[in-house]
Amino acid sequence: MERTETGTTDARDAAQAADLLVTVATTLNERLAVTAGELARSQTLLREASNELMTAFRGAADRIVAAQRDEGAGPEKSAEYGLVLDHLYRACQHLQSHDLVNQLIDAQKLRVDKMREKLAQAISLAAPPVVRPDQAEPWIERSRAMLDCIVAGIQQIDQDARAPLGEKHHAGSVDLF
Amino acid sequence: MKTILAVDDSATMREMVTFVLESAGYRVIEAEDGAQGLDRATAQNVDLVITDQNMPNMDGLTLVRSLRELRDYKSVPILLLTTESSDSMKSQGRAAGATGWLVKPFDPATLLEVVQKVLR
Repeated sequence: MERTETGTTDARDAAQAADLLVTVATTLNERLAVTAGELARSQTLLREASNELMTAFRGAADRIVAAQRDEGAGPEKSAEYGLVLDHLYRACQHLQSHDLVNQLIDAQKLRVDKMREKLAQAISLAAPPVVRPDQAEPWIERSRAMLDCIVAGIQQIDQDARAPLGEKHHAGSVDLF
Repeated sequence: MKTILAVDDSATMREMVTFVLESAGYRVIEAEDGAQGLDRATAQNVDLVITDQNMPNMDGLTLVRSLRELRDYKSVPILLLTTESSDSMKSQGRAAGATGWLVKPFDPATLLEVVQKVLR
């Protein structure tokens, strides 16, 4: 009698632990959905700003390249074109950063999506009813399977992780072999 | 006029490279990935290839290896222009036959300096 009661208590604890895991996975998945939305919004804003800047840059760049080709331009004009070109070169360097940030956001979105996929998979493991709910073992197995799924998601993120920001000091570096 | 092939899957990057090189008097042809770059390079000989590394269809290192197998491209300079900056990637680039490795975002003046140097 005592043994059965202990078994029931163990099963109840294991069931509560499994439920807690579902709650945590669901909450985390909801937070990640918000993050995914914010990343997408940031990317849209960045893209719109980049497009506007690119249009302005393109107009100025085409004009200066055409002006430079005009052989009738005197030395004063050429010097002025050189100054304008310097400004455009600086703009060119920063416009590249827009593009690179966009790529970084793409990578983050992919990582968030992959983690959400794994969390959804973990949550789905809790959907079917437990065959022997009065036993602790099936609940423990369910929790273990869910945790395996979540850990696989984290490992996938680690594998995909790249560190371009951490290596920022390399930006612009040149190695000639 | 020297002709340079610029290979990058980012239209913005291609545009930036093209602008800088054209403003310095070079002729530039563009390709969106390694496979297209290889097509362009075989259709028309170029004096220099500047390629990104991470691209769909064919990456930069594969493009370098493929070009080095062609008789016309045994000694044509090839520069990798990429966000990749690890020593192992650079070693792979060197082993593949690349002439140099530039990390994005590039400084236009530095790019022109390197281009002039390798074309000399």
